[in-house]
Amino acid sequence: MTDIRDGNGLAAAEKLYTQYGSRARELKASGKKVIGYLSALGPVEIMTAAGVLPIRLKGNVSEAISKGDAYMETIVCPFVRNVFDLAVKGKYDFLDGMVLPHQCDSIDRTNETWSYALKLPYWHFLNVPHVTDDPSIAFMKEILRIFIKTLEKFTGKAITDQAIADAVKAHNNNRKLMRELYDLRKSNLPLISGSEMMKVLVAAMSIPVEESSALIEAVTKEVKERKPAAANPKAKRIMLIGDQIDDVAVIEAIESTGAYLVMDDLSTGSKMYWQDVDATADPVQGIAERYLRKLKIPTTFVGSADTYQGILEERFGHMKKYVNEFKVDGAILFIYKYCDPYGFEVPAIKSYVEAAGAPVLYLEDEYSTSSLARVKTRIEAFLEMIA
Amino acid sequence: MDYFAGVDIGSTMTKVVIVSDRIEVSLIGPTGPEHRKLANRVMEEALNKACLTFENLTYIVATGYGRINVPFADRQITEITCHAKGLHSLLPSVKTVVDIGGQDSKGIKVVNGKVMNFVMNDKCAAGTGRFLEIIADSLGVPLEKIGEISLTAEKIAAVSSTCTVFAEQEIISRLASGEPIANLLAGIHDAVATRVCSLVKKLNVEADIAVTGGGAKNIGLVKALESKFGRALLVPPEPLITGALGAALMGKDIFAKYMAEGQKPTRSVNKLEEATFFE
Amino acid sequence: MAEEKKGRAVATSTAAKIPKFVRGNLSATLKAKEEGKKVAAAFIADGQDEIMRAMDIVPAWGESFSGVCAAKRDAEKYLQKAESDNFSRSLCTYATCNIGFDMMREELGGATPEGAPWGGMGRPDMMLGNGQLLCDPRFKWPQATQHYQQDVPVFVTNMYYPPWDPNADHHEQEAIYVKYATEELRETVKFCEKITGKKMDWDRLAATVELSDKTWDLFIDTYELRKHIPTPMDTGDAMNTMVPLTFNLGTQEAYDFYVDLNAELRQKIADGVGVANPERYRIIWAAGLPSWFALGDFQYFNGKGVVFPVEVTYRGCEKIERLDLPKTNDPLEHIAWRWVRYWTHWYDAAKKRPGSTPKVERIIEYIEDYKCDGAVFHSAFSCRSWHAGIMQQAATLKKVYKDIPILIMEGDIVDISSYNEADTHNRIDAFIETLAAYKKRQG
Ligand code: SF4
Ligand code: SF4
Repeated sequence: MTDIRDGNGLAAAEKLYTQYGSRARELKASGKKVIGYLSALGPVEIMTAAGVLPIRLKGNVSEAISKGDAYMETIVCPFVRNVFDLAVKGKYDFLDGMVLPHQCDSIDRTNETWSYALKLPYWHFLNVPHVTDDPSIAFMKEILRIFIKTLEKFTGKAITDQAIADAVKAHNNNRKLMRELYDLRKSNLPLISGSEMMKVLVAAMSIPVEESSALIEAVTKEVKERKPAAANPKAKRIMLIGDQIDDVAVIEAIESTGAYLVMDDLSTGSKMYWQDVDATADPVQGIAERYLRKLKIPTTFVGSADTYQGILEERFGHMKKYVNEFKVDGAILFIYKYCDPYGFEVPAIKSYVEAAGAPVLYLEDEYSTSSLARVKTRIEAFLEMIA
Repeated sequence: MDYFAGVDIGSTMTKVVIVSDRIEVSLIGPTGPEHRKLANRVMEEALNKACLTFENLTYIVATGYGRINVPFADRQITEITCHAKGLHSLLPSVKTVVDIGGQDSKGIKVVNGKVMNFVMNDKCAAGTGRFLEIIADSLGVPLEKIGEISLTAEKIAAVSSTCTVFAEQEIISRLASGEPIANLLAGIHDAVATRVCSLVKKLNVEADIAVTGGGAKNIGLVKALESKFGRALLVPPEPLITGALGAALMGKDIFAKYMAEGQKPTRSVNKLEEATFFE
Repeated sequence: MAEEKKGRAVATSTAAKIPKFVRGNLSATLKAKEEGKKVAAAFIADGQDEIMRAMDIVPAWGESFSGVCAAKRDAEKYLQKAESDNFSRSLCTYATCNIGFDMMREELGGATPEGAPWGGMGRPDMMLGNGQLLCDPRFKWPQATQHYQQDVPVFVTNMYYPPWDPNADHHEQEAIYVKYATEELRETVKFCEKITGKKMDWDRLAATVELSDKTWDLFIDTYELRKHIPTPMDTGDAMNTMVPLTFNLGTQEAYDFYVDLNAELRQKIADGVGVANPERYRIIWAAGLPSWFALGDFQYFNGKGVVFPVEVTYRGCEKIERLDLPKTNDPLEHIAWRWVRYWTHWYDAAKKRPGSTPKVERIIEYIEDYKCDGAVFHSAFSCRSWHAGIMQQAATLKKVYKDIPILIMEGDIVDISSYNEADTHNRIDAFIETLAAYKKRQG
């Protein structure tokens, strides 16, 4: 394993980022089972409690789809297609299994395409409901229990409530550490750049939770020791909003213009780390509540306020907080083509965040560097506009 | 006298404008595969025409999609900001700019020469000059002529496909079934105008509206756009140079700001290298 | 805008009554206010039909209106309106067409925009969405519409069924799903009671559900008449005759429609009248919503002797007895069981054939029952729900069943901009050639 010592946290993150899955491969060789998952809805606590390594699957924006299109329609989310293509090409050949949480049609409708093409020993579709009332929490608990049972059968080991409670603690601690690292982006010159942060986020989702926590601590320590350079008072502080952005390409496009990426509302970033699981007598209860009610993704949002403004606050209020806490000057809303869940929210998010004081650039794109030049021009023009 | 140059490297054309307190010179040349070499050549020509030397220039701004390939520029600024600036200096009443280039189209909202909002088309060619070029090619009509010919149509032959490949097939089969070329061209211009208009309408469109870029030289397209926007559109006398002009004016502003702060900027490159240098 | 194209001429005279149903549904939304009724923006196959009917709530079917706009080739203006506020052109075009229309209506203070196809649709008093296993848009579309109709309350609910997993026992899971769906339906009733200010009449609901069950049975009995050779009705008509089942479930008119259709098909069979004469090839429409602006393509098939005696699309029901529903006195629980079993009753068959899936089993059953020679799928780019996974279905069908000719057409439900008639007809011609070769091989 990569040795995480003081002073080399960023280097370790960089390595885990560029050689994505390398740690999983090592652990697999030493006999650990590795389960891949997609999206922020993957209940990592349960997988950790089962003694398997959960690894969030990542795409590769510079890799053209060459094999996946023979099985999967091009009308599917470009991110999902890209990851699928990598999997078909054997980039994830260390997986023992996968769990697909029901996040959106692009995942739900391709469940059979994935499972029949990859033929992994373990497969599970986690049928996460999309509303959040009490019957839905009860239902979510049921499907989590079904998930637990299938994992027990696969590993041949019981998953005790104690093990789940311990895993909850470990992951909550991990989230807390990550939030502390995010805090270091609040200063005028953020102590950690957006692309460094992305590498840490990506690295953290590919290794066991304790190692992930150690990595985050090492990075935090390292960047805290940085000599604060004079900030460029004119540099704009940007927030990136979207779902599955797991690559530095867009971020480098932002930061190469001299702007700072200081915050995100991404399902690889703050969405993963902002809400903890409550320790409940039945640990599954807390997990159900966190994923269904606390996690802020469009397919599990149900408004309950009496007014539309109130509903917007429920849905996007956290973004207003980010704008204030992280002193955001402008936001980039980066949505993939064919993504219905986020696509239908664009006008609402845009007007809400703009009302919160940050102009918004909306970009619709593929999951690919092929259109990066065009995206870059828009980002630069946007930054010139808000200068 | 201080001279400021703007260089706009577009996908098909490279434009250079030099300004002092007036426009000294403007020049247009094709963009070759070697941007940098060409930028030098067009710049040299422009300087000759204006009887200036490279050393006379105070500040140079590059724009356009090839802006990073202008080795002698002091600053790169996107074409969006430059278009707004340039157009405002020519037609101060304009609030919305529609720019139709070879590879992309954009809409820009302008207030006092500043960008308030903008939109750009996505990857596909529909709604760009490229689309018209492909169709002109498959109909065997010179590109400069298609606009005029389209105005002679008796009726607009509706083209339902906006996808370039499909539209091309559709046109060919319609031609075979006897539809006059003028009607088809009217249909194609209408389709492009529809695409551009729906793109620009993402902005809160306010009059006056101006058209720039290569598309503005196509009278058929301008007329089609006027019918979509439901009003007359303004076209600057030389619609291709607004970006380069804006770049030059941005340079002037930047320079003035530096001077106001009491620091004179130094040019990043002092000599226009031999054109052969990059070969 | 392309000139309005004449839609497909229907083969059965009963199908010719469909425009009246569709117009009737649209105008009901416009008249509701006068009649003191509440209008709900609603979405098909959400399990909410009977609740609305039993409470005199008038459904405003977004999908139907967008389909009409598409069939009249007059959707572009609404698609562009939605696009002008940053709704991507890649989103579900039923939704974006409707949202564009709603945006225009709001700008007019609630008045119907001029030139709206078939008089347009009325402003709803509520929106009933469903974040079910059917699709994301039916969950996000009402929420997105609220951005423009801020006073109209939105209710979204959930109706799930167990996911297909060859290694899991779905029977074990059914009860969990039924319980959940029942509770969600109860929440729906509560919401409707709140908006209408009326209590649910449970006896009336039970009677409505009973009528639906009868309609389901009659629908299947009627469609099975299409097994006859030559088939008296094909998918081109079915894209019309689905309307009463899909949009008017739980009404007597819907039931009566199928009584008429049944009689007409029997008569055609007795008279030996088929859709195509001679009938050369029988094809299953194996998946996909149609391109509403190009229904004429069915006639193109028919003109070449190709008929579709069966389709998966809009066959949103099954013989009730086949579902083996547990007895219950709760009409909501009955709806829930009917919904869950509608999907899971294919799972057992799929388990018996290694490598198969329920969707493929269903196609195989229809191919056998309706004696089909090939399969056509339609892939509409803007709807992932029905169209992602089609390639997988086609490949599985070939693998676990036989190597029958398959055509996957690409297009959209509403957006005409990537449709090309000549190209489509070329593909169809090529497909027919493979059918000929295949039949020859089969002897
Ligand atoms: S980006 Fe959108 S479509 Fe893709 S996985 Fe996320 S929610 Fe689904
Ligand atoms: S099923 Fe498809 S067409 Fe229907 S609403 Fe959902 S996404 Fe749109």
